[in-house]
Amino acid sequence: MRKTFTVAETALREIARRRGVLAILVLFPLAFYLSRRDSHLGQSIRFVCLGLGWALSTAALFAGSAARSIEPRLRLSGYRGHHLYLGRLVALWTVGLLLAAPYYVLIRIDTDGVRYGAIGLIMVLTVAVAAPFGLALSAALPRELEGMLVLLIIVGLQMMMDPADSASRLLPFWFSREIGTYAVDHTDGGYLTRGLLHAVVCLAALLAVVAIASGYRLRQRSHLRFVARR
Amino acid sequence: MRHDTWLDALAGELRRHGVAPETAGNVLAETAAHLWESGDDPVRAFGPPQAYAATVADSVRADLPRRAQAGPVRLEVDGITKRYGRRTVLREVSLSVRAGEVAAVVGANGSGKSTFLGICAGLVSPDRGEVRVHGSLGYCPQGGGTSDFLVPDEHFVLVGAGRGMSRADARDTGRAGAAALDWDPRDGTQARHLSGGTRQKLNLVMAGLGDPDVLLLDEPYQGFDQGSYLDFWQQVRRWRDSGKAIVVVTHLLNTRDGVDIVLDLGKRREERA
Repeated sequence: MRKTFTVAETALREIARRRGVLAILVLFPLAFYLSRRDSHLGQSIRFVCLGLGWALSTAALFAGSAARSIEPRLRLSGYRGHHLYLGRLVALWTVGLLLAAPYYVLIRIDTDGVRYGAIGLIMVLTVAVAAPFGLALSAALPRELEGMLVLLIIVGLQMMMDPADSASRLLPFWFSREIGTYAVDHTDGGYLTRGLLHAVVCLAALLAVVAIASGYRLRQRSHLRFVARR
Repeated sequence: MRHDTWLDALAGELRRHGVAPETAGNVLAETAAHLWESGDDPVRAFGPPQAYAATVADSVRADLPRRAQAGPVRLEVDGITKRYGRRTVLREVSLSVRAGEVAAVVGANGSGKSTFLGICAGLVSPDRGEVRVHGSLGYCPQGGGTSDFLVPDEHFVLVGAGRGMSRADARDTGRAGAAALDWDPRDGTQARHLSGGTRQKLNLVMAGLGDPDVLLLDEPYQGFDQGSYLDFWQQVRRWRDSGKAIVVVTHLLNTRDGVDIVLDLGKRREERA
């Protein structure tokens, strides 16, 4: 546990020192929120959640790519793969929750007649999914530019595709629309259940991708054997 | 140059060359006495302090008794073959390094030195052969291996936690390792702002944290000035004397470096001193 927390702490320090990136991360969802504020209440809430997910996924993508050069030596220094990715996830989830908190307060102040608990749930789930999503992309696409372009495509599709289309359920933040409908339009609990299920499945699948990719990349090769000291 | 300044520089260079403190004290006393009596300019009489210290170190080292015998085998590399496409980079390469020995891996650019070390560290898979490490492993890559936004103390704590060291222990050990390389990391400069040479010092100190039994160093002196280069080999000798098995990839092998084994990947053969 100590190793995981040490990785989490250093990852948090790294993110905290990227002040320019932090400023953009904080303002990014705000731009999304303001862009739809005059049209429809639900749209602005949906967009701020997507902005939050996009911002955190991007941060995770870059954090994952930056860690690639130091992770092999940390593995040799006694860390296991799960110490490294779990530590990084804890750091990103912490940043995500800190990022989401002011937007939750903003919605509480700026909107009436919505289910605030469900909106809080969307934000927590968005943070939970966005961090492993960015790390999974960085694992699959080691070059940052390629990862960034794929992220752009996926989030773009998320905004443009009809949520009723079954193909849109393959996108990682589809649940935010479902729970958002439940929160804003006061629909029945089916929306909430479907959204929750989708988020949990996405989270599990993305965590599995991150764990498998990390385990494979940092595996102990079969030609190397550690023998007890004579 | 003033006598005091020149003598201070000479004292530092003798230390870097690993001249024993007692011998260095005698040399300094004799040199100072000569300068005071003759009134000569020290540079004119003895030359630059770096060159004079190197000459003294050579003459002193020739009289040193042979070190104690090496200990048990720590690293066994057996029949490593590695191909990239149709090109065979390493063919049936073997190496055995005991506790208290230094092996230098030499060869021209592209001869597979870094690949060989990566295979020893388990970062690259060979097509054939195996590596056995008796104990723990420390690795210093040729580049990278640090985190841009962390300060040196945080690097020490991060690597130290993996080795089971406490924060204070990791930080103190790291700072002591840095001091041995004539570097004070306490000013808290982030790694991205360190010069190339200082960054490599950080890499080297991290490799030695936690007292690993085998140290694999991939041209760790990139960007070092002459003084730091000497400090590096001095550190390698300290590690060797404390019973570690060390493998250094190098293309700057100096006769004074005193390695025990040379593995020439150009000639593909191992020579023992």
